[in-house]
Amino acid sequence: METKNEPVVISVKHLHKSFKLPTERAWGLKQAIFNRLKGIKGYKEQKVLNGISFDIYKNEFVGIVGRNGSGKSTLLKTLAKIYFPEKGKLEINGTLIPFIELGVGFNMDLTGRENVYLNGALLGFSNKEMDAMYDEIVDFAELRPFMDQKLKNFSSGMQVRLAFSIAIRAKGDILLLDEVLAVGDAEFQKKCNDYFATIKGHQTVILVTHDMGNVKKYCSRAILIENGKIALDDEPQKVAEAYEKLWS
Amino acid sequence: MAIPNFLYKNNRVLLKELTKTDFKLRYQGSVLGYLWALLRPLMMFAILYVVFAKLLKIGGDIPHYPVYLLVGTTFWSFFTECTNQGIQAVVTRGDLIRKICFPKYIVVVSATLTAVINVLINLVVVFVFALIDGVTPSWTWLLVPILLFELYIFSLGISFLLGAINVKYRDITSIWDVLVQALFYAIPIIYPIAMVAQTSATAAKIILINPISQVIQDLRYTIVTKETITTWSYVGEENFFWKFIPIIIVIIMLIWGSWYFRKKSKKFAEEI
Repeated sequence: METKNEPVVISVKHLHKSFKLPTERAWGLKQAIFNRLKGIKGYKEQKVLNGISFDIYKNEFVGIVGRNGSGKSTLLKTLAKIYFPEKGKLEINGTLIPFIELGVGFNMDLTGRENVYLNGALLGFSNKEMDAMYDEIVDFAELRPFMDQKLKNFSSGMQVRLAFSIAIRAKGDILLLDEVLAVGDAEFQKKCNDYFATIKGHQTVILVTHDMGNVKKYCSRAILIENGKIALDDEPQKVAEAYEKLWS
Repeated sequence: MAIPNFLYKNNRVLLKELTKTDFKLRYQGSVLGYLWALLRPLMMFAILYVVFAKLLKIGGDIPHYPVYLLVGTTFWSFFTECTNQGIQAVVTRGDLIRKICFPKYIVVVSATLTAVINVLINLVVVFVFALIDGVTPSWTWLLVPILLFELYIFSLGISFLLGAINVKYRDITSIWDVLVQALFYAIPIIYPIAMVAQTSATAAKIILINPISQVIQDLRYTIVTKETITTWSYVGEENFFWKFIPIIIVIIMLIWGSWYFRKKSKKFAEEI
């Protein structure tokens, strides 16, 4: 990895995370009291992250891959500080913009414009900062004539385009993306591809994906997660091969 | 995260945006729109007025009884709306909490602020109504915001505590519904506290150390008539300390509620 002389922006050490999965119907007060009286725990502990450690350097484009349920999304949510790890250390230098899902907080009854500002506020941008980004976002989405319409009158493709434009135009030091690359029509896809090609090497991006094509195309490094552990942390080419071997 | 969290500019922006959205969407698609914020409590008042003042002839000797009743119903509506929205807030905003990291108390505060906006609009109606009914304006009207603030703090404390429990045990919403029904009769809204005082002074005192009763009676005192029995004037003749019980309950509720909410909020994203 050639970028090692850059400063570390994300440092993760021995991250552990487990979830309490309710075994039977442990929902509601009645069941909780019953379980306590009977001495049943009412849940099963599921280990999702099992001692993950890595450093991410500035301007790296890191792909995180792995099969369903391997812990990628949990890792991403932990990086985004949505989940709190029970053990381990997480250090982040710089502002981190998470996109676990596109268009979080989008409301169908608000106009496109209002939604952009609301989404921005959720990501931690002030109205002033959003004013500065607004034109870029709208232009990238190519939705200027529609911005004063309610979101419910947007086609679903248009909604995703708007959400995606906010995601990539939001000015942050680190971008977290969870499987959100394939959106819009062919033309918009091409635009996104071009955009990713231009930011590669200029912006820190962490991308969770199943698409090995994207990993090889954009990533400067890839991490394969298997059973909550890092199975391989290497060049995208090698990781993509290892990923494909998981099923052979 | 440091303690003076709400001082962060970004958190204030988010709070503003969420509150604006909540308020804007509240009456979306209704013909009368924001007017419902006024009409709903006025209609509730009209029903109570017809039933209790006209049919049951309660409160006959209280001057300006309609205004007196209106003050009670307005602030009671505020309390119920505030706590209902506040307790539900974390669950309703679950989609955000599961996908974005932000201080969770913001959803509770923004949900309750909508109720504050509503009560401020209704307050205008109360004052207009008071003037029409011939109440003499008094400088004590200026104390209303302080009392409103006290009631808000109390509602917020309850919302934090029960809202945090509600994430895991949704039964809380139903339990609170019933509790609110019971509270309605445990607070002198439709009946004058003087009626209770005639039969049992102790009962009246117990009713009056409830912060909601204290606020509503104080509001009636400051807005409508100085003849109102208040916690301050009625409770604690033997022991001065008793006069402070309501305010102590309010402070404890806020501290307890926010402490518990803060402790539990780390797990909200997983448990919703």
